[in-house]
Amino acid sequence: MLELSFAYILCFSLNLLLDYVKALDLDSYLLNAFLKNFIDYQPLVVSLFTFIVIVFHYQMLQRKKVEIFCRILVGGTVFNITTRYIRDSLTILIPVYLLSVLANAYLDFNFFSNFYLVLILITYILISARQVRKYENF
Amino acid sequence: MENQKNSNFLGGVTMTKIIDLSVKEKIYESKKAQISILNDFKLEVADGEKIAIVGESGVGKSSLLNIIGLIDRNYNGEYTLLGSLTNNLHTNELAQWRNQKIGFILQESALINSLTIEDNIKLPLLYAGSEKKEFKIEDFESVVDAIGIKPILKKKPLECSGGEKARAVFARGIIMKPQIILADEPTASLDMENRERIVTLLFKMNKEFNTTIITVTHDLEIANRHDRIIQLEKCSQRLG
Amino acid sequence: MKIFRFIVSKIFLRKAILGIGMILLLCMANYITFTAARSILSTFQGYQETKYINQEGIYIANLDPDSHMDMGLINENGTHAVYDYLNNNFNYAFYTDGFIVSIPNTDDMEISLGYMNEEYYKLNQFELSQGADVDFNYQFDGEIPVLIGKGLSTTYPVGSTIKMEESVLGRPITLKVQGVLKQNAYHSNYYALNSKTYYNFSILVPVNEEFMNHANIDLRFNGLMDITILQSTKEQIADLGEVIKDNLGLKFNFFSQQENYDYFNEYYLHTLKIICIITFILLVVITCLSVWNALVSVRLMLKEFTINLLVGLSYSKLKKIFYGYFGILSFINLIVIFIITAFDRYGCWLRKDATFATYGLFGLIGMDWLALLLVAASDILIGVIVVESMLWKIKKIPISLGVLQ
Repeated sequence: MLELSFAYILCFSLNLLLDYVKALDLDSYLLNAFLKNFIDYQPLVVSLFTFIVIVFHYQMLQRKKVEIFCRILVGGTVFNITTRYIRDSLTILIPVYLLSVLANAYLDFNFFSNFYLVLILITYILISARQVRKYENF
Repeated sequence: MENQKNSNFLGGVTMTKIIDLSVKEKIYESKKAQISILNDFKLEVADGEKIAIVGESGVGKSSLLNIIGLIDRNYNGEYTLLGSLTNNLHTNELAQWRNQKIGFILQESALINSLTIEDNIKLPLLYAGSEKKEFKIEDFESVVDAIGIKPILKKKPLECSGGEKARAVFARGIIMKPQIILADEPTASLDMENRERIVTLLFKMNKEFNTTIITVTHDLEIANRHDRIIQLEKCSQRLG
Repeated sequence: MKIFRFIVSKIFLRKAILGIGMILLLCMANYITFTAARSILSTFQGYQETKYINQEGIYIANLDPDSHMDMGLINENGTHAVYDYLNNNFNYAFYTDGFIVSIPNTDDMEISLGYMNEEYYKLNQFELSQGADVDFNYQFDGEIPVLIGKGLSTTYPVGSTIKMEESVLGRPITLKVQGVLKQNAYHSNYYALNSKTYYNFSILVPVNEEFMNHANIDLRFNGLMDITILQSTKEQIADLGEVIKDNLGLKFNFFSQQENYDYFNEYYLHTLKIICIITFILLVVITCLSVWNALVSVRLMLKEFTINLLVGLSYSKLKKIFYGYFGILSFINLIVIFIITAFDRYGCWLRKDATFATYGLFGLIGMDWLALLLVAASDILIGVIVVESMLWKIKKIPISLGVLQ
């Protein structure tokens, strides 16, 4: 839980940080030129960075193999476990997103500037949820 | 601490001593406490001997096997194996000894799931020298035939039964024709048929190649079939 | 090698996501290091260049940022008056560029004309690969000796002539190639030291007093922007400022050698420090994530590693394998950074962007290679941290436990 929250917070923070840098009125040509190398590719940089979330989901499911199998043994179903997994992940994602929206509001940035991140992260959750099915038979 | 079924070490016959272990203390560290085990423990093993180690859980049976197998050097004591003091050996040398001299037969789960049974069995050959390797590859066929695992060679461990996996672990343990075989509960999760098969193979190795066998087991029936039984008793101390 | 191939293909690549994760993290670390290194190196190069100009007793002109430019006030007479004053009272280095002309050349580039006077030429110590120094005492009506960039040297070898309609003089002129500049010769902007103009497709035209008298207002006005007054005093400069203000309605600042150094030290040093701090923080974060990723890998592959250790793999061999594997990942990333840089540099050739077109393997110049070297160094540092963390984690877990994971 903590690790996943941290991973989500990192992704949203990076996006927020780049938005913040973009909004800065820097009088240094050199610093502007340096930061431009990141700001110009903001969506790409942030999207690549979100890959750490994929790594997180992957390793978490690998570690939970036995737990998934045991749950199925004692009466759980793949559907139930998958739904629970998606629900738990979203329970972490949504508050982190709302927190980032609040930060956007506080800094007077566009509310939806990081919505694309939510879509990317939800996609990861859905893709990784399919992995649960693989551990039905241990 | 040590009850020997055959009290006359080396059975009155002149046999080479290949293991001479003297442990003053071994500290087992868990998250919550430190436990001292194998206090003032001594063990001498002759070439070709079959020894069973029995005792309650937690007395240090597996720890002893790890020390004998050069996996664990974190103890206070001296260990001479095949005439060489092992305490000061470099990790590279230890790895080479584990590869060439010692065969480990563990529970059936000790296989790499992403490799085929064949790759798992051949794993020690990867770390053997090139000349030795050629020789061992020739032997590979005879080993798999003897153990009866030819049909599952291309399968992954997850596609095999417990008995098949146990035999694969056994095959990996003997593929290098080691001088010493260390077996840690090799039959713990097997049915009678497979249990018998593994034990027979183990003793066949001893008979044909004079391999020294050291088995950790809870099964007294199997233990009784060894030359000597070492009963480890609980005399561990909780240090903190 | 066989063991390395086995471990990589049968263990690492079976969990490719972790490898890809590491590649992406390294890629970010490399991109950050490369960008920072290039910014710093480029600024340093610019700083070195200004050292030639920024001599004792000099004053470099700079249009005051608050000065309102009224183009209606800027006329022929005003600029002539300013230059008359300059010629009568000062020694000055004059340089301006960016006048584009189309002449045939092998790469179909638009050619940039740069104009310089003798003082500027002496201060800059241009390095030539062919030919000889230009002579400023040429006949204005005859052939004008010029220096050209390497990119033009095939079409216009030393001794050849270039005929063109020249916008500054507003009439056809003939230029004679006197020398070829060394490849990738450049000029840095005085007040943006990290930005450069490369001379590979430029022609440097020597300007003498007669040329100046016949040149149009564009050349004279643009030349004032960075004009460098030599061997002068604060009082004389103050008078020049007044003359410019009276004739052109513009307020110019003239910075002395010390003021320029103070500016460089305060502005650039401060900015470079900020860049270094940002880079350091980002690298620390990425290194932490890489270590996390590596420890996850160990956790998920523990059984595989320990079984190999059990049957004969030694820790030192495992260490070598880890370093080898990390080396491959770093190499992949270096290639990626190389491709991005080459794409950027070579893109200038494809876009026919003459001022940034450079010579080298795919256009990469010394500064790029040095930055790549620094990237490799940072990779080594991250690699040592990551690999040692992995080994620490593996050694912490007894083989007997790992095997039965």
